[in-house]
Amino acid sequence: MTDSSQLERGYRRVLACYPKAFRRDSGEEILAVLLATAGEGQRRVRLAEAADLIRGAVRMHFGMSRAPRPVRNAVRLMCLGAVLNLIVMVTILVTLGSVRPAFVHDFEASQWHTVMLALIIPVLASAPIGAGLWLWLAWANGRGYLWARLAFVALFGLLTTGLLISLSASLGEGILPPAPADLIATAVLWLVGLAAVVLISTETASRYYHQEPAHR
Amino acid sequence: MQEATFLILTALADGTQHGYGIIAEVQEISHGRVLLRAGTLYTALDRLRADGLIGVDREEIVEGRLRRYYRLTPEGTERLAAEAARLHANARAALTRLKPSGVLT
Repeated sequence: MTDSSQLERGYRRVLACYPKAFRRDSGEEILAVLLATAGEGQRRVRLAEAADLIRGAVRMHFGMSRAPRPVRNAVRLMCLGAVLNLIVMVTILVTLGSVRPAFVHDFEASQWHTVMLALIIPVLASAPIGAGLWLWLAWANGRGYLWARLAFVALFGLLTTGLLISLSASLGEGILPPAPADLIATAVLWLVGLAAVVLISTETASRYYHQEPAHR
Repeated sequence: MQEATFLILTALADGTQHGYGIIAEVQEISHGRVLLRAGTLYTALDRLRADGLIGVDREEIVEGRLRRYYRLTPEGTERLAAEAARLHANARAALTRLKPSGVLT
């Protein structure tokens, strides 16, 4: 195999990360540019080239090249929301110690394991699912799907309900009052969601969501 | 407008260019400071095409490979001119204010 064909295969493998429609339109053209800019005798895709192409592919998948600025910023916030979901989970894990004595003080210690199973474990298990949901909606909103905008607003509604429940629990009305750190982390996530909702509700964003798929 | 976008539009200001040509032009315009990579270039080109600031002029097959030439649209020319005027005014203001300090040669 020649250096050139080995390099071309390498570039094609990295270009496979791009959305199919983009590859069909511009894949061969990018490949020609990549081969033209490759160094003399280069046989493998350089790390910097691969990183740049993968970054471009991610931006394409999330609609970051065509979406207007408010939607692009909302997508960034949704990706941040996905990370925050995991941080909330870690916060809950870290603060378990402070929650447990409060619970034990009010109820039977033997009930702790039941509470663990019934309340905390589902919360922890749902965090990665929540993070995945935020990422999925980031992708779909970036692509301009109208249903994704509605779905994110619905998710934000759920998040608001969850925050209100946590707040009322912290005031002593709930079975398991959250630690202050949990509340703060949830509130930050809520603020990120609120900012994303505001951005996807702007007039510029609305025009994007109502465009024909071919134009976005 | 981001610097890379400004430089890509500038590279197309005096005629059509293909992808590799744009990379070379941008490098020359920026005196070697900005080296566009293919991934960055085509993300920007996709956005500029969607915004109607550039368009495809023609396609050629050179040595069996697709070569697509891009051109500025009237809207792209207008946006570039407005951005260049804005940057020029800012630079002029900065230079005027720096003059008394004597740091300019």
